[in-house]
Amino acid sequence: MIAFAVELRLARFDLRAEARLEGGVTAIMGPSGSGKTSLLEVLAGLRRGARGRVAIGGEVVLDTERGVRLPPERRRVGYVPQDAALLPHLTALRNVRFGARGDRARVDSAIETLELAPLLERYPLSLSGGEKQRVALARALASDPRLLLLDEPLAALDVALRERILPYLLRIRDEWRVPALYVTHNVGEAVALADRVLLLRDGAVEALGAPLDLLAMPVLAEAAAAGIENLLQGRVSSHDEAGGVTRVVLDGGAEVAIPLARERLVGTPVVLAVRAEDVLVTTGAIAGLSARNVLPARVLSLERTGPDVTLRCATDGGTPPWLVRLTPAAVAALGLRPGATVSLAVKSHSVRVV
Amino acid sequence: MLAAGDVEMVLFTIQIALLGTALNLVPGTAAALFLARYRGPGKEAIETVLSLPLVLPPTAVGILLLRALARRGLLGTLLGDLGIEIVFTWKAVLLATMVMSFPLLVRSARTAFEEVDPRLVGIARTLGCGPARAFFRVTLPLAWRGILAGSVLAFSRALGEFGATVMVAGNIPGRTQTLPLAIFHYDQIGRDDRALALVGVTVVLAFVALWSAELVSRRRSGRTAA
Repeated sequence: MIAFAVELRLARFDLRAEARLEGGVTAIMGPSGSGKTSLLEVLAGLRRGARGRVAIGGEVVLDTERGVRLPPERRRVGYVPQDAALLPHLTALRNVRFGARGDRARVDSAIETLELAPLLERYPLSLSGGEKQRVALARALASDPRLLLLDEPLAALDVALRERILPYLLRIRDEWRVPALYVTHNVGEAVALADRVLLLRDGAVEALGAPLDLLAMPVLAEAAAAGIENLLQGRVSSHDEAGGVTRVVLDGGAEVAIPLARERLVGTPVVLAVRAEDVLVTTGAIAGLSARNVLPARVLSLERTGPDVTLRCATDGGTPPWLVRLTPAAVAALGLRPGATVSLAVKSHSVRVV
Repeated sequence: MLAAGDVEMVLFTIQIALLGTALNLVPGTAAALFLARYRGPGKEAIETVLSLPLVLPPTAVGILLLRALARRGLLGTLLGDLGIEIVFTWKAVLLATMVMSFPLLVRSARTAFEEVDPRLVGIARTLGCGPARAFFRVTLPLAWRGILAGSVLAFSRALGEFGATVMVAGNIPGRTQTLPLAIFHYDQIGRDDRALALVGVTVVLAFVALWSAELVSRRRSGRTAA
């Protein structure tokens, strides 16, 4: 558990953040310059001016009233900044070993988790952005942290690379079970990774809650609409070789078909992503449509987002509302308003496995 | 070519320059680190004082040293009571070259320290390094090339030091005479051939110093560029 109530003078405002977080992953979101990185640095002990109280896993590491201020090296916090910050004079292996204090087993399993074996003798200069991030993650894990602080580890990467790193983050969450604070601007990452979202604005905690609840908040709903993704959690239920599809039962009970993904074993959890503009909406009966996924739904709300309209739709037995992006013309033609009964149609090929 | 005694004189000059650079290394590095990290009041004043020997006429520095170290000077009295005599001995040569070359070492090392990303040091701290360990495992390995370059500059400066040395140590053949002093001496007495021979020696020395520094830093950096 992590509990903090801290203050730090920043250039434009003061950081005054207070929260108690259980284990698991907490996504820290909020507009640029809202103090997210500063908060991580305060927790890691890298900001001298910080005041207040911080407890990590029951140990008080900062309590300025009582004169407690543990230096960073005694906090056991693994910090991974946005650009990885590998030590340029050391190989990948020696970077990973750097903080491990000779704990071979931990180093080996960190290397295994992040699949670094082929990279170990390389210097940071010759590693790609994604490889650097994996080395930095392994280095943080190998130091046996009680808390991971991840500062937008995917932000510097392009979309394709992001999707390759995300599974490593899921492995860290599920296999290492180190509590983590994860700064991100990406709603999809937050939904896929985090148990809760802490929303920071102008240095203060504006909201703290489950990712999908917070998506309803205007500031994040807009980000989601601009960031396009519907993220759906579910489990692989069957593979249909002849039909060329894999079926996934979503956590809410609805079933969707995705392009055949035999490497995902039946029963394994998956996160699916569907772009909001790839969802078709019909009001009448559906016949002769090629889309494999048709879900009955009800329109919850319509919101003008830039040139488009974003609908939030509740599906039968599907907990997270679907975000659907339509043109105002389409909304007018179908006469859509809150409460309308519709069907959502999605081609298998519009569904990606994250 | 070289006269009797000139070889000893050249060796003496090299020894003084090497010893002076070695003695400057730790305090120079410490001063550089301080200037690179310190953000408090008086920073500019300290910087200026440390750089003064670079801009003052060496003879002016020499006079100041002489005043301080002479038998009735501030430090001279103190050292005299301890039975230590500095002025017009090899120790004065050493001191003069050290004072004159110190700022070069500091400037170069300081730039190198300033180029080390402080976040890397922060990361090292979160990975369990105390301040001293973080310095030796991160800051120093990333800055050593600049410190080496500064040392070579300082060594070369020490080899060529003239003005301060002549004021505080004199130009006593066989005792305090160094290469540049000997070149001047030979020129004054009309022995251009010997002066030129010594000029040749200084060129070779400077060349070897710069080149070997280049080689060392090239070899060590080869792997990072690979």
